[in-house]
Amino acid sequence: MSTLLKHISPLAPDDSGACSVLYEMGGIVVICDAGGCAGNVCGFDEPRWHFKRSALFSAGLRDMDAILGRDDRLVEKLVKVTKQVDAEFTAIVGTPVPAVIATDFHALERMSERRSGLPCIAIPTDGTRLYDYGEQLAYTELFRRFAEDGHEPKKGRLGILGATPLNTGLIYSDSLKEAAKEMGYDEAVCFGLDSGLDEVKRAAECERLLVISPSGIKAAEYLNKRFGTPFEVSYPCLSEDVKQSVSTLSGKKVLVINQQFAANALRDEIHGCEVDCATWFMLDKRYAAGNDFRIKDENVLRERIEQNGYDVIISDPDLWRAMKGHDAQLIPFPHYAVSAELSEIRNKN
Amino acid sequence: MNGAYYITAKALAEAGFDNIPEELVSSKHMIYSSPATLDFNSPGAKGFGVKRAGLVVPESVMLLVAPGCCGRNTALLNELGYNDKFFYLMLDDTDIVTGRYLKKIPKACAEITEELDYTPSAVMICVTCVDALLGTDMERVCRSSAEACGVPCVPAYMYALTREKRLPPMGLARKSIYSLLEPQKRRSNECAIMGFFSALDDRCEIYELLKRAGIKKVHEIGRCKTFEEYKQISRANFSLVLNSEARAAAQDMEKRLGIPFIELTRLYRLSKIHNQYRLLGQAIGAELDDSEFYDEAFDTIEQFKARHGEVSFAVGECLNADSFELALALCEYGFRVAEIYGTVGERNFVFIKKLAEVSPETRIYSNLSPTMMNYERECEINVCIGTDAAYYHKDLPSVSWSGEEQPFGHRAVTILFKELDTAVTEGRAVKI
Repeated sequence: MSTLLKHISPLAPDDSGACSVLYEMGGIVVICDAGGCAGNVCGFDEPRWHFKRSALFSAGLRDMDAILGRDDRLVEKLVKVTKQVDAEFTAIVGTPVPAVIATDFHALERMSERRSGLPCIAIPTDGTRLYDYGEQLAYTELFRRFAEDGHEPKKGRLGILGATPLNTGLIYSDSLKEAAKEMGYDEAVCFGLDSGLDEVKRAAECERLLVISPSGIKAAEYLNKRFGTPFEVSYPCLSEDVKQSVSTLSGKKVLVINQQFAANALRDEIHGCEVDCATWFMLDKRYAAGNDFRIKDENVLRERIEQNGYDVIISDPDLWRAMKGHDAQLIPFPHYAVSAELSEIRNKN
Repeated sequence: MNGAYYITAKALAEAGFDNIPEELVSSKHMIYSSPATLDFNSPGAKGFGVKRAGLVVPESVMLLVAPGCCGRNTALLNELGYNDKFFYLMLDDTDIVTGRYLKKIPKACAEITEELDYTPSAVMICVTCVDALLGTDMERVCRSSAEACGVPCVPAYMYALTREKRLPPMGLARKSIYSLLEPQKRRSNECAIMGFFSALDDRCEIYELLKRAGIKKVHEIGRCKTFEEYKQISRANFSLVLNSEARAAAQDMEKRLGIPFIELTRLYRLSKIHNQYRLLGQAIGAELDDSEFYDEAFDTIEQFKARHGEVSFAVGECLNADSFELALALCEYGFRVAEIYGTVGERNFVFIKKLAEVSPETRIYSNLSPTMMNYERECEINVCIGTDAAYYHKDLPSVSWSGEEQPFGHRAVTILFKELDTAVTEGRAVKI
């Protein structure tokens, strides 16, 4: 059965992705849930929770709130918290509960804005999709609502999209900023990582955009259309450990599994091999090679591995259980959205 | 920006249970998932949430039927060796709108049992808020699934939406895990201990007291290694219920299996523990002499006081105790309790009233209040009990007191004070 996971745990969901983008924006972020989804985000998918303070709350919905559609109570609680915690905006992130009762997120936005006096954005995630979808929604909504006209592009300023821990395993932007300098830029802003709403407002100041995950493409296209900012895709933050682990490969048939741009970047590091990339997440055909593929479920993964006879598979170790019975060499390439492991390499068991 | 909200025990007792401030009522405000609260804010979270609790039945496996987000943090349990026990039927939006996934559940159960190289004792089918709202008839789904896969299927309700109902998710989970027991001849010298998913601490005196009363076998689900051992639980002549969340399970066992139950409470006041044993003895027709255990606990407290003086505590709620009862005990032993991070309810309000008499200035905070993200220490605290208290005061000695072996009775007091002694003497803090 294609929707049955027998070997791996569920991957980071869309609500976690939305929260990841909004985490450092300085807003009050409310996960519209009963408590469990917020627990998943704060206790598992958001490694910054223990290092960087953020006003990320659960709406604490109860069955009668959902059954009776008591949106007014939700707004009342939201307004209350705006009086307790300083914030520049509010955000409401969807989960399965509002999806089941068909919550009108636009109405919630309007009610919240009217009552709190703060801008409100609603991200209609439902917990059934993957994190990159939630990130995409959050990025585009942020720039749509808050990016300001009237800022001139500054020479040497690079804007980086897709820099979330779920994509990179990074919780600070130092290595990305360093990479930007090596690329010849004077300064870099990683939207949502060590940067807040001000940088979003002044997005037009970026001379160029670097998109490091497919989840940032739509926002880049939006900024390109609105401000004319050019963008390119790349992933300049591969860890040295990962690069080292593939440096001796030669004459092999290799499969790299990660988010698309990270996988592509590692492919560029592998020489003298036939390399395919695959991802459980978004696959943008514009940046894919002929044999690259999207993994829809565990069966697809096993079938493709069987069919293509890979000698080496480079992926998050949490996926290895789904490859049981295949004798390829396994090399770890952690992906936070899979295993919630930060960027360090884990040894093969 | 507001500071963290608190109210003194005196002010709260004077306000009364019907006038608890909104900041202490979780349904009246947004919930702050402070790192301190994560292990209980979600019924699927760390420790024994619904997911892990369901798998207490030996040799069982679990099928989680939910959108991906509900099962995401289950990977945390892989570290505890649960990798091979969890399976996930992922729902998409069409599944939710059409309800078509209900027909997939029996097929999924069959596929799982075929995949495994052993026959599981049961498939626990865990459902979430989605099914709470859709009103899914899980009894029927489980019957169909059992027919399809040939092993019993049992519902596990991870309904975060109903956390404050009369029968909350953890109460339902307890009921589910005992539901596979079948009637058999009861044995007069056997009893069951219910309430926790793991076993009592081996050092707990209740084993010795029951033995002296003629009980030869004490059944605990947390000690069952095989399904055969689990099935023997229904031989118990009576059950001791040590956690009120197991009451519904005990009532169900009484009705189905004819096993009566006696409810005890985990307490930290020695006189109350003694009194409880006296009443238990009366109920089972035996005199339970707990004096040596009482004396041992009393001496340990006195030694701690002699070594460290009248220290000031912060007491959290991520621990194996009722925060308020433990705080009251500490005050009655002559210590100070500066702060409590706890959830005020009808059951523990009686302790708050007594606390107001002996320690009126004790500050009561709610871990779930959004204002707790602004918490800063404002009063003298020397040592913390509970993982959450330790989180707020990383620089102070602390004991987590939240291990899986469950403390109970006089020995709980003895062991707690020994751990506190070590923490204070060595300046040891819980690793957060």
